[in-house]
Amino acid sequence: MKILVCLKQVPHQDARLDVNADGSWIKEDGIKFEINSYDTFALEEALRAKDADPATEVVVASIGPDRVTQALRTALGMGADRAVHVKDPAVDGSDALGVARVLATVAKEVGPELVLMGLMSDDSNASAVPPMLAELMGVPHATAVVTFEKTGSGVRVERELEGGALEVVDLPLPCLVAVQTGLNQVRYASLKGIMAAKKKPIDVKTAESLGLAGKVGAAAAKAKIRKVYPPPKGEGAEILSGSADEVVAKLVGKIKELGLL
Amino acid sequence: MGSILLVAEIQKGAIREASYELVSFAKKLGGDIQSVVIGSGIAGEAEALAKRGGGKVYVCDDPALANYNVDGWTKAVRAAAAAANADTVLISNTPIGWDFSGRIAAGLDASFVSDAFDVKPGPVFLRRVFNGKLDAEVAPAAGKVVVTVQPGAIAAFEGTSAGSTEKLAVDLSGLRAKFVETKVATSKGVDLTKAEIIVSGGRGVGAPEKFPEVIQPLATALGGAMGASRPVVDAGWLPHEYQVGSSGQVVTPKLYIAVGISGAIQHLVGMKGSNYIIAINKDADAPIFEVAQLGVVGDLFEIVPKLTAAVKSAKG
Repeated sequence: MKILVCLKQVPHQDARLDVNADGSWIKEDGIKFEINSYDTFALEEALRAKDADPATEVVVASIGPDRVTQALRTALGMGADRAVHVKDPAVDGSDALGVARVLATVAKEVGPELVLMGLMSDDSNASAVPPMLAELMGVPHATAVVTFEKTGSGVRVERELEGGALEVVDLPLPCLVAVQTGLNQVRYASLKGIMAAKKKPIDVKTAESLGLAGKVGAAAAKAKIRKVYPPPKGEGAEILSGSADEVVAKLVGKIKELGLL
Repeated sequence: MGSILLVAEIQKGAIREASYELVSFAKKLGGDIQSVVIGSGIAGEAEALAKRGGGKVYVCDDPALANYNVDGWTKAVRAAAAAANADTVLISNTPIGWDFSGRIAAGLDASFVSDAFDVKPGPVFLRRVFNGKLDAEVAPAAGKVVVTVQPGAIAAFEGTSAGSTEKLAVDLSGLRAKFVETKVATSKGVDLTKAEIIVSGGRGVGAPEKFPEVIQPLATALGGAMGASRPVVDAGWLPHEYQVGSSGQVVTPKLYIAVGISGAIQHLVGMKGSNYIIAINKDADAPIFEVAQLGVVGDLFEIVPKLTAAVKSAKG
């Protein structure tokens, strides 16, 4: 089986978020990046399928500037077979639909039976691209998947609902599955894997080479982020000050006041 | 100007409150409101929505729609959007809503905004990014727009209205996804929804052994239960029954102490109804401090053991 895993490289979870000069996003200089946590679970699921059947080919794809190469090398080091890197300023500033268009074009070239990706990204938290990509590819999909297994006729997934309930759904192949965090335990790349990754191919694409010139990027984006800012602080919490002992004494006082001590 | 189509959701035989929140959101946007309800044997639900702000309610009623199906819902909403000549489609950002809404946006080549918690004139939609650390304002291009609205973000419409219902036939042949069953959560271990005091640990606790070493002792000293945020459970540090949040347990204890939890939306949904919230986090900008009444910006490994000792001492 051929599996395409779509990865997004995002600012590290603990990165300092400073708003950029025109307020439209955060400053990206000087911060660390990592593979979107949701996508790591998708990649792990693909690699487990490959562990179970070594004939499985795992192709990883990502969009972005030079720094994305690192994310793809990490994925290759974990065990993916090859990578596609869409690296083109003409693609920058795409909205979710633009991203989905790019990935759909990559998917057409790769021809996977299964697309695995995270439900949302740690930066935009949109959950937009997976269903859009499935629609553009003309395949069925399922989101918020916490359990995944191959069946004779396709895949069986469990979708996370509210309150811990799960919905069990069967999908035929080809399909797209967007996973929740915690689906599995993500492996680390072994030293052997990292060395082997250096020889694995990363295919670089541009908007032009994908036939998407003029159809993606900031100019084509329909939903534009005008600005980002720290949430206006409401009343918020009363922040206690003092030494640890002083603070603890105040906390105990409050808990007593609540009648809970 | 085209209409606003609300996609209502039925839960346990009734239109869920989130759908009436869509009515309020639509009224804020301004425009002719129409709705669609999807399911099997849902005439009553459609009537209820028509009487409570749903406007003209299209009814997609078919046994094939008895359970959520991505293809079925996509086809039904598409048909309703066409019938309503909708410029705007509003969907609640629930596990069903976020599943099919992107397909609708792609199919309509529309602007798409997800998990909006408010809208300003423009329209400009407000949503959160970076797991709640920043707010974002999104302006859609002219033309069609699909918006998913965060459940609970806006008050549900409580008024009455004169609406109407109309059956809408949808071609439901060739549905590729097959619903198998719904598994209801079985509660194992402590039922956090019954705990009066909960001490929850997040990613900031740093390692699995710190939960029994640092968090559990405080919970025990207070006579309460231990909980956790999603990343802790995802990392395998604690089993799922400890998870507080929209996909875990929603709790309303008398006292909730959040330790090393940043306060992502999914977690806040699970505990913001608590009577009193204390947060301990080393990051002064953590969103948790917005919902907490009392906060400590500091090192939990210094504060929590001292607090545990002080509580034990106070109890004598």
